[in-house]
Amino acid sequence: MLKVADLVRDYPEFRLQAGFTVGEGEFFSLLGPSGCGKTTLLRLISGLERPENGRIILNEQDVTDLPPSRRRIGLVFQDYALFPHMTVEENVGYGLAVQNVPVTERNKRIRRLLEQFEIGQLARREVGQLSGGERQRVALARALAPEPLVVLLDEPFSALDYGLRRRLREELRLLQRRIGFTAVFVTHHQEDALALSDRLAVMANGRILQVGSPKEVYERPESLEVAGLLGEANLLPGRVEESTEAEVRVMLGNVELVGIPGGKERLTVGQPVWVLVRPEGWTIHETGLVARVVGWEYLGHSTVYLVEGGAWSGRVLAGNGEEVVAVGQEVRLAIRPGQARVFARED
Amino acid sequence: MRSNRACWGLLIFIGFYLPFVVVLLGAFAEPWPRWAAFFSSPVFLRALAFSLAQAVVSAAGSLLVALPGAYFLGNYSFPGKRLVRSLLVIPFVLPGILVVLGLIVFYGRNGTLNGWLETLGAGFRFTGLYGWPGIILAHILYNFPLGVRAISESWEGLDPAYREASSVLGAHRWQTFCRVTLPLLLPAVTYSFLMAFVYSFLSFTVVLVLGGLRFRTFEVLIYTVLNKRLDFSAARMFAAAQFALLAGLLLITHRLSRSLRHGLQVVRHLPGLSWRQSKLGMLGFLNYLVLIGIFFGGPLAGILGRSFRERGLPDTPLTLANYRALLEPGFHYLAGKDFWIITGVSLLLALTAGLVCTALAYWGARRESSLSSDRWDLLAQAPLGVSFLTFTLGVYTLAGQWLPPLAQVFWAQVFLGFPLVYARLRLAREELGDELLEAAAVLGADPRRRWRDIEWPLLRPALGTGFAYATALALGDLSAVLVLGEGQVTTLPVAIYRLIGQYRFPQALALGTVFVLCATLLFLGIEVWARMDWRRKGATKDA
Repeated sequence: MLKVADLVRDYPEFRLQAGFTVGEGEFFSLLGPSGCGKTTLLRLISGLERPENGRIILNEQDVTDLPPSRRRIGLVFQDYALFPHMTVEENVGYGLAVQNVPVTERNKRIRRLLEQFEIGQLARREVGQLSGGERQRVALARALAPEPLVVLLDEPFSALDYGLRRRLREELRLLQRRIGFTAVFVTHHQEDALALSDRLAVMANGRILQVGSPKEVYERPESLEVAGLLGEANLLPGRVEESTEAEVRVMLGNVELVGIPGGKERLTVGQPVWVLVRPEGWTIHETGLVARVVGWEYLGHSTVYLVEGGAWSGRVLAGNGEEVVAVGQEVRLAIRPGQARVFARED
Repeated sequence: MRSNRACWGLLIFIGFYLPFVVVLLGAFAEPWPRWAAFFSSPVFLRALAFSLAQAVVSAAGSLLVALPGAYFLGNYSFPGKRLVRSLLVIPFVLPGILVVLGLIVFYGRNGTLNGWLETLGAGFRFTGLYGWPGIILAHILYNFPLGVRAISESWEGLDPAYREASSVLGAHRWQTFCRVTLPLLLPAVTYSFLMAFVYSFLSFTVVLVLGGLRFRTFEVLIYTVLNKRLDFSAARMFAAAQFALLAGLLLITHRLSRSLRHGLQVVRHLPGLSWRQSKLGMLGFLNYLVLIGIFFGGPLAGILGRSFRERGLPDTPLTLANYRALLEPGFHYLAGKDFWIITGVSLLLALTAGLVCTALAYWGARRESSLSSDRWDLLAQAPLGVSFLTFTLGVYTLAGQWLPPLAQVFWAQVFLGFPLVYARLRLAREELGDELLEAAAVLGADPRRRWRDIEWPLLRPALGTGFAYATALALGDLSAVLVLGEGQVTTLPVAIYRLIGQYRFPQALALGTVFVLCATLLFLGIEVWARMDWRRKGATKDA
């Protein structure tokens, strides 16, 4: 188990402050935009950088002051950092060699790993001759060879095209489930984080904003910032008509909407709010908010309508089986049950 | 770590900058009336006029010779292109005295060229070697490869989309060339011109031998006033004046080279150059290669060929007499020392200086620095980019009284190759990056192991090349040994210089060939060592 407790690292114009726990065998992701501090966090956990404050606990042992070579952490770099002057098996066996694991045992472990990763036939290859997918597998096998307590992955798909990215993502998830290693995965790509993680942490400006399962964080964001970082968000301005712990009634002009309170604080009657609705949270209906279609994007499996509703504009996702709406046409939009979340708004 | 950094900084300051600073401070301490007299002296004015004029003509000539080569190299791919590229670095390490010797063999009174002219019944002979034409020829030979390299790389890196956009917009080929290609090549062209100008302005050996008493650059004057008149004050003033003239240019060339490096972004697939595809292009290219081969390769090949001819003359029987003469007692009186001592001292001195230079540069290149690498590069190149003679003068001022001549020569030679080696190693270290070392650290390797397993094997080729350059430059150095050796240190270039001075060309040719042989063996040995696959050995040992 990995516990990151109140870790602080200061830079001249930036402060990283984070804490989270990752359970054994869990796939945990750190998701955030470039420059939010997620790679720094990974470097702090691996010991390549030192924190000003806070502790890093790995399987009950405080490793904060240990050098990277003694932490028992595996790290898969963004572009894999495979040693170019070594073959595949030398790369995979490097961690074992520096730990002076006896040769027979070392070779046995290298072979087992290469077989597990289905790259046994590449053992003697130079790393320069490998494809993107093969490189990822070698990097992962190398990180796993010394049997680390946790494997950190730093945006390993960032330089890949969409098709390869999807394939490698599936492969990584399967391998992680099969071998059962604990993983901390850093990405700025929400689809990767949603598809891979058991749990994820959304980061911005050096802080963790929310931690939860992908479904929780996507469907129940605790702030507008999280909602904006994870998926698309339509924001509709309104005022609270009635507020309970479980439900908020909001007036948008003369239309009443029912939503779930988004933040932790209780909303008061008359308070200005934003109503957040995901594009897939709407249905085109006979009653509801009036909006005009100003454009559309055909996506194959669905169509996104760009709509304007006076004080707001947004995107509405419609399945392709639904009736086609022409640009300029007026539509009425209803919100699917439980799909609106209400957040306080500064007036 | 910090004390390590400070230690390196101090060493570089004392060894590299202090000699230079001492000379400049000494010059600026001269009273103003002396400066006024100096600036209006005919010696200064003549040297200034000659240096400027020959440098402009040499640079323009180098550019003219370089442009066709740059065009072929930058626009076509052909078998052996990599070899041609690597041959272009030879002038960096080619000792001036060897170039001069080659020119004498090819363009001299009894040279190959005059032989051909006679055979062709031309009715005239080329007699301008000792003077302007010879000096310009030597400078072009030295500098045109630099232009070919810089301009062809720039040409190769030009995004074809610019040209395509221009032609789609309706421009003809020549309009596209004038309005799109040429302006984009201008930084590389300017850079090549300025570098050739600076190198020609700083020319020492070529002008020392071929210029006689009539043509002298500042470098030659510094040596002459020191050697003949022991006039330190005049030497310092020449050095300071030269510095003032060149410092600005050095800054401009540095800026240009930086912008050239940043400009190289496109790796484009070049069309092949073949007889079938472009007869005209192929004909032009072959013509260019033949002309360059004859007029610039000829002199160097001539040294080797003529060293095996009786009295070093063409069309005489083959003989080893010139080599035997190196081992005869008379050689000692001509060259100053016995052949074996000269060769041994040269090799030992060059290898030690090369090793220390490479070690110093590597130590510096490993350091984390708060200065950007660009600034460091400028700082590292500053003193020698301005003048090696000034540097040796500084070494003499600082250590002439208490260090034996051999040690002074060693000091100067250590730093002769420093800027080049430092730049090479710094680039290699930057290319290596930190990630591989961090990957090794996370996998459990301690600092010693990280160095042994990752840094050393990956930097070894660059270290080898750096060491080879440093050694070759030290081996070919003439100025430091002439200024600091006080007649007591004799190396191969000095011996060749003395032999030429006494018109003993046959022995000079044999010694020149020995020099080429030593340098080639050194280079090959170091390259083989650097690129040898030690990894398998290491892996077996581990296993």
